[in-house]
Amino acid sequence: MTAIVAVLLLAGALEAQTLHSPVNADAAMVQDFQKRVAAYLQLRKSVESNLPKLKATASDEKISHHEIQLRHAIRDARKGAREGDIFTPEISTEIRRLIAIAMHPDGPQIRQSLRSSEPVQLHLAINEKYPDGVPLQTTPPSLLENLPALPPEIEYRITGQDLVLLDTRAHLIVDIVRGVFS
Amino acid sequence: MIAARSRGGIRHFGILLAAVAVAASTAQELPLKKDSVRFAVIGDMGTGEKAQYEVAQQMARYRETTGFDFVLMLGDNIYGGNSPADMKRKFEYPYGPLLDAGVKFYASLGNHDDPNERFYKPFNMGEKRYYSYKKGNAEFFALDSNYMDPQQMDWLNKALHDSGAAWKICFFHHPLYSDGKFHGPDTDLRARLEPIFQANGVRMVLSGHDHVYERIKPHSGIYYFVLGNSGELRTHDLRKSADIASGFDIDRDFMVMEIAGDQLYFQTISRTGGTVDSGMIDRQ
Repeated sequence: MTAIVAVLLLAGALEAQTLHSPVNADAAMVQDFQKRVAAYLQLRKSVESNLPKLKATASDEKISHHEIQLRHAIRDARKGAREGDIFTPEISTEIRRLIAIAMHPDGPQIRQSLRSSEPVQLHLAINEKYPDGVPLQTTPPSLLENLPALPPEIEYRITGQDLVLLDTRAHLIVDIVRGVFS
Repeated sequence: MIAARSRGGIRHFGILLAAVAVAASTAQELPLKKDSVRFAVIGDMGTGEKAQYEVAQQMARYRETTGFDFVLMLGDNIYGGNSPADMKRKFEYPYGPLLDAGVKFYASLGNHDDPNERFYKPFNMGEKRYYSYKKGNAEFFALDSNYMDPQQMDWLNKALHDSGAAWKICFFHHPLYSDGKFHGPDTDLRARLEPIFQANGVRMVLSGHDHVYERIKPHSGIYYFVLGNSGELRTHDLRKSADIASGFDIDRDFMVMEIAGDQLYFQTISRTGGTVDSGMIDRQ
């Protein structure tokens, strides 16, 4: 009887563990990534709350001014940020793995999409501004389908061989995985 | 079924123009039916150079006779930076006469555009990367083909499905079909979008990116146009292809369209005012 109770307790404990912990290491990486993205958003939200809200306007001066203010405020708030704070080595490995999965069935069409979308060769650093006048290369939908979802404030962008996280409103490079498309 | 028009204005039902570079023909007018929806289309125009201004002047002239009241922008609206001076030189000045006449512009984003253009009121994007709006019996869906993430595809699927419009027209920058040598089609985008278009009754798709004009032979009942030469131009960039219904790659142009009930009439007009392609599409 004691043995049966012990087995049942163990089974219950295992089930609880399965319900409350990531099913595998890959899912844990994605969770970690999303947690880091959420932390960035939190910081961004707090600095943006100090700025006037940007609404549709016929004044391009206002749009430019807001972009500059937002970028500077975020940059100041994350002065100590380093490359790899969000794309840690482990998360970068997971991102490479997810891209490889997307490339396996859809490689030719993804490569064709990348070629047709005006590739850019840039060497960027985090907290830098995405340069004015340089086109944004399309991120193929098959890649986006395989990568962890992002909030609308930031996007995955490809620059040369690198995958960057771009804050689109602030034109700010948030983080980089280098050599993904080598 | 498409009815392409020849130089003399004679309709040849079911016959498609095959020339890669069609010479300018005599000017033709759309039917200009009562209560029809009339609009113009421009793509890859925001250079701020003389040719863009000349196309814009031609648009203003055609507006006097055709009375179109809005313009679709297929992306690359502003090249090389979005400073206030750029916006004036590359948009507000060339299209000033149209803007003054109350013509509304609806933009989609190209790879040369700053995503913050969605906040620029004269582009009527409602602060969104992708959006839709209705005019008469048509609904227009402006997409952001630079970043076709699952959220946008979900939105598109639902918006198209829920639309009760007789005509569903999608416009965005990167073409699903193109015989431009420089860029060509975005096949990954095509693999994702075309099934959505087919499942939801989209009849016409307008794109830019390649700096030429091309009317593609219909694919699964959908008419694809590339119009990426309303400012930029890549001369003789069209390759020979069995997929081309009509092409023009020796000068800039724009399009005027008219939706009258179950017919959509189109006319492609060069910088110098000649009609380089025209025809009619039935809704089916």
